[in-house]
Amino acid sequence: MNTKASVPHPTKSAGSARSGLFRRLARDPVALVALLFLIVIVAAAVLAPLLAPFDPYDTNLRMRLRPPGGDHLLGTDTQGRDLLTRLLFGARTTLALGFASIMVGSLIGTSIGLAAAFYRRLEGPLMRLVDIMLSFPSILFGLALAAMLGVGMESLVIALGLSTAPPIARVARATATTVMQTEYMDGGRVIGLSDATLIRRYLLRNCAAPIVVYCSLQFGETILLAAALGFLGLGLQPPIAELGSIAAEGRSFIFLAPHVSTAASLLIFTIVLSCNLLGDAFRDLTDPRLLP
Amino acid sequence: MTQQLFWRLLTSIPVLLGVLLVGFLMLQVIPTDPATIIAGPSGTAAEIEAIRHQLGLDAPIWMQFWLYLLRVLHGDLGRSIINNAPVASELATALGPTIELMVASLIWAVPLGILLGTLAAMRRGQVFDRSVTALSVAGVSVPAFWVGLLLLQFAAFRWQLFPLQGRGGPLWTLNGLHHVALPALTLGIIFVGPVARMTRTAVVEVLGADFIRTARAKGASEFRVITRHALRTALIPVVTLIGLQIGSLLGGAVIAETIFGWPGIGRLAVGSIVSSDFPMAQGCILVLACGFIMVNFLVDALYGILDPRIRSRIR
Amino acid sequence: MTGMIGTRSASFILALMVAAPAATQEADNVVALRVSDTDRYDPQRSTALAAAEVLYMVGETLVTLDHDLKTVRPGLAERWEVSPDGLTYTFHLRRDVSFCDAKPFTAKAVVGTMDRWLDPDFPGVSKWKAGKVESVKALDDYTVEYRLKQPYSELLYQMTQFNFIIIDPDQATALKDDFGVAAFNGTGPFCFQSWTPRTETVLTRHEAYRWGPAFMTNSGPAKVGRIVWKIVPEEATLAAALQTGEGDVSFAVPPWALAQLQSAPSMQLLRPQAGFRTHYIGMKITRPDLTDRRVREALSLAVDQAAIADAIFFGEAEAAHAYYSKQARDFNPQMNLDAFGYDPERAKSLLDEAGWIAQADGTRMKDGNPLSLVFYGFTSESERQMAEAVQGDLRKIGVELKVELYDPTIVWGKLKTQDFDLYQMSYPYLSAGEAMNLYFLSSNMPTPNRMNWADPKTDQLIDAGNRAITPDARYAAFAEAGAIIHDAVLWKPLVNENLVVVAGPRLKPFKPHGVSGAPLYNGLDLELAK
Repeated sequence: MNTKASVPHPTKSAGSARSGLFRRLARDPVALVALLFLIVIVAAAVLAPLLAPFDPYDTNLRMRLRPPGGDHLLGTDTQGRDLLTRLLFGARTTLALGFASIMVGSLIGTSIGLAAAFYRRLEGPLMRLVDIMLSFPSILFGLALAAMLGVGMESLVIALGLSTAPPIARVARATATTVMQTEYMDGGRVIGLSDATLIRRYLLRNCAAPIVVYCSLQFGETILLAAALGFLGLGLQPPIAELGSIAAEGRSFIFLAPHVSTAASLLIFTIVLSCNLLGDAFRDLTDPRLLP
Repeated sequence: MTQQLFWRLLTSIPVLLGVLLVGFLMLQVIPTDPATIIAGPSGTAAEIEAIRHQLGLDAPIWMQFWLYLLRVLHGDLGRSIINNAPVASELATALGPTIELMVASLIWAVPLGILLGTLAAMRRGQVFDRSVTALSVAGVSVPAFWVGLLLLQFAAFRWQLFPLQGRGGPLWTLNGLHHVALPALTLGIIFVGPVARMTRTAVVEVLGADFIRTARAKGASEFRVITRHALRTALIPVVTLIGLQIGSLLGGAVIAETIFGWPGIGRLAVGSIVSSDFPMAQGCILVLACGFIMVNFLVDALYGILDPRIRSRIR
Repeated sequence: MTGMIGTRSASFILALMVAAPAATQEADNVVALRVSDTDRYDPQRSTALAAAEVLYMVGETLVTLDHDLKTVRPGLAERWEVSPDGLTYTFHLRRDVSFCDAKPFTAKAVVGTMDRWLDPDFPGVSKWKAGKVESVKALDDYTVEYRLKQPYSELLYQMTQFNFIIIDPDQATALKDDFGVAAFNGTGPFCFQSWTPRTETVLTRHEAYRWGPAFMTNSGPAKVGRIVWKIVPEEATLAAALQTGEGDVSFAVPPWALAQLQSAPSMQLLRPQAGFRTHYIGMKITRPDLTDRRVREALSLAVDQAAIADAIFFGEAEAAHAYYSKQARDFNPQMNLDAFGYDPERAKSLLDEAGWIAQADGTRMKDGNPLSLVFYGFTSESERQMAEAVQGDLRKIGVELKVELYDPTIVWGKLKTQDFDLYQMSYPYLSAGEAMNLYFLSSNMPTPNRMNWADPKTDQLIDAGNRAITPDARYAAFAEAGAIIHDAVLWKPLVNENLVVVAGPRLKPFKPHGVSGAPLYNGLDLELAK
């Protein structure tokens, strides 16, 4: 990966840097395939209600656990629902969950990181807080939070968001600390800009790129974590389709009808793989030094 | 160096206290009354009230935390609500198997990762290098539970090569190895990739350094250059990585232990959180956090031993 | 992927090293598999089925129940008399019984057990099962007088349950909280050796045991030297473990695996003569949308319990049309059970009648509100599947079900609240009277009477049934109460689950017992095939 470390980092205006980034991305066939695959998956997830061949909630116990083939391309699940339809809707939920969690996580993480860099007095306590949050394995953190907040989309987003926040906070603080040392922060202070303006106008704007890149790297991991929680039984309540829960629901039948959990796991795997490949490509194309 | 390590040890105390408080509060907010759990399906209101009083659940929260702290300092972590066993002894029984599982996973995954990474660095840009990169990305992208399920389905059930679940005894016995194989494979796989990548990057960097060129110029064999000079330096980031990844290793242990019925602390933690077994869950969190802090501390110490040059640079 | 490469090389190496087969078992050992562990092995403090399974092997009750689950037989008491007013029971104890520690069994142990259990300061469970006790006294070393404040027709029946297992009171006093955790001294055919929570419980043969009940083939000592109760939390793994020989016997095999195991020639599927466990959906009638009986009947008619029995239980259950089995004592065959069939069309017209009008998208509305109900259930696999099936069936008549599933340990607290409309449960019972005493008395609100069924007539009839001195009077009272509660549509019965014991090739065939869902009962009939 670091073979490309010699690539000069984009320091010119944002527009040209971005177009250059995409041009370089286009030259990396693996990343391109990953990108195309993700676009297809996201499109399929968004358009699930239009694309799905069946009603995702229409149960029929007498048709349960049919193997792939016939009317049902991928077979049926434990309730006799069409598995392809469930997977489409499941991807929709899982992607939305991952996206929302990353948003929450970056919001919390960036706030903590920037505050720690900007207000030196807060740095100690805030980073200790981050240490505490980091010392809980994220899966346990998610489990405990989901158990505490009750099962549901909101609590899952909060749990996942909170467990992605600490590493984002570290990245944000590291970036922001270097930005703080630049002259225009002092300049801004001298001309009497308020803290809020300084943070918003200068600090955030200059830290945004590395944070966004780091978040994109975290996306795949967040989806894996969400799936793991679903697998451990702390996913969403039925009948909502979510990939981790579909894999878990098929788990009891892995010896009898392995297609259910295999299909769901495979889909999770390919989504996360594409995210990671794409994230790697992004990382190589941007400044790698600010990232852990 | 000793002074810095000591300072680092000292700063972990507030972190530990925080962990205790967060763990305590987190489980306090769970909207479940342990007394109703104990009373069971046909418990009456009077029975539940008596149990609440017996457990001290009718005291104010800060009082409960203070008492909890005092008890923890005395090594008393309470008794499980679910099975009434002393938490401390339960944790002690579960900790061994988890460490065992982690060791069994790292013992094959780390050398394999280092080997793959080094070979990839030596064949930079070739097919082998690309395959290693691809494999390591795949390794971090695959859901751990899927690996576990596949192993369970094929290696244990179809081919009956390994037992389906449980622990067979200490690692050095045949039965113990036989039982640990599948969970250790499941857990190790998530590790091979990152270690291989980190090693590769580090070795590539080191191979360009002056002292390697000197060694080569002196006529040392390529094997010697790699093992004696390059790897030693390259191991530092790898050790750091292992320290950083200990959290995800614990997370993976939760999954591997659940699938293979391994009697470790990960399964204990999940079980106790899911069933609102407060004292047990708090104990698990405390032990896991302590483990995490200790590993990071050890990693810092290892730094100095591995590379004298950075002794002075430890935070 | 990396996984497969690793698997092959590692399994190759290990296959070379490990000559022994996957399952290595000691000669005189029987390994019983189950899914969950207990909280402790204290008969008077446990409600867990997992406790009952083991306690029946290490301890005994004064009276026992025959395989038909109707006839009460001698146990630790060789005979007993009941006074004509139904208030005084006199038990004559066996004189040849001793505890595992060789201490002789006397009336002192019986009195000690009951006094400890019924002490108001003792956090005991299920005390109602003992009836309204006046006193339990030892008339001499081998005679116990059990006096009630009011007659209790279910008493002898209840006394066969594991909560009445006689303990060693001295040990309970000495061990306090560790009683039933570190040790348990009982009179059963097996002795408690060790318990590793979440892993296993080990029992060894009680060598002196000779006093087994007459309905067991073997009266003692036990034919196997050790029984190891192993926990295998995953149902699928448990089923697989029986096939690979890692376990010998289990009755926690998930229904879907039974068909598969049946086709394996070495596996034996054994069923007790009788055994009652009914799965049902309870309806909280005080919730606004459920006060209308027509709505309750519509919900009941919309759920296809036959499909659940066939598909989710793979035929190892029968569709239920009443709150308890037809074979249970005091079942009233004259009750009108029309509300418990499957008839979605009638369900729809009942909803129309009740004012819930179907909208274009299929949902039902009344006064601008959709018919949306909150459902509490369990996270365990079969329960979850049933919940989803019920949810799917109700969706077809336009009712939205908000399903919330909880871990079996926390669900009890949730079910104590008033925040749900429907809940799901399964329960074991011995008789119609027991079911009614537990669920339908107004004094048992909010739990276990989670329906909030408060009907003076029902209370009065159940009380009359309890106080009845003759079987006919008891039947008359319970039968009438049964008709009332069924007519009100408080539950939707789903299925009566068959208890199936799966035994591997190492065991000889035996006759399971249906009591309390613990079909290995005291383990006397377990025997290894030579």
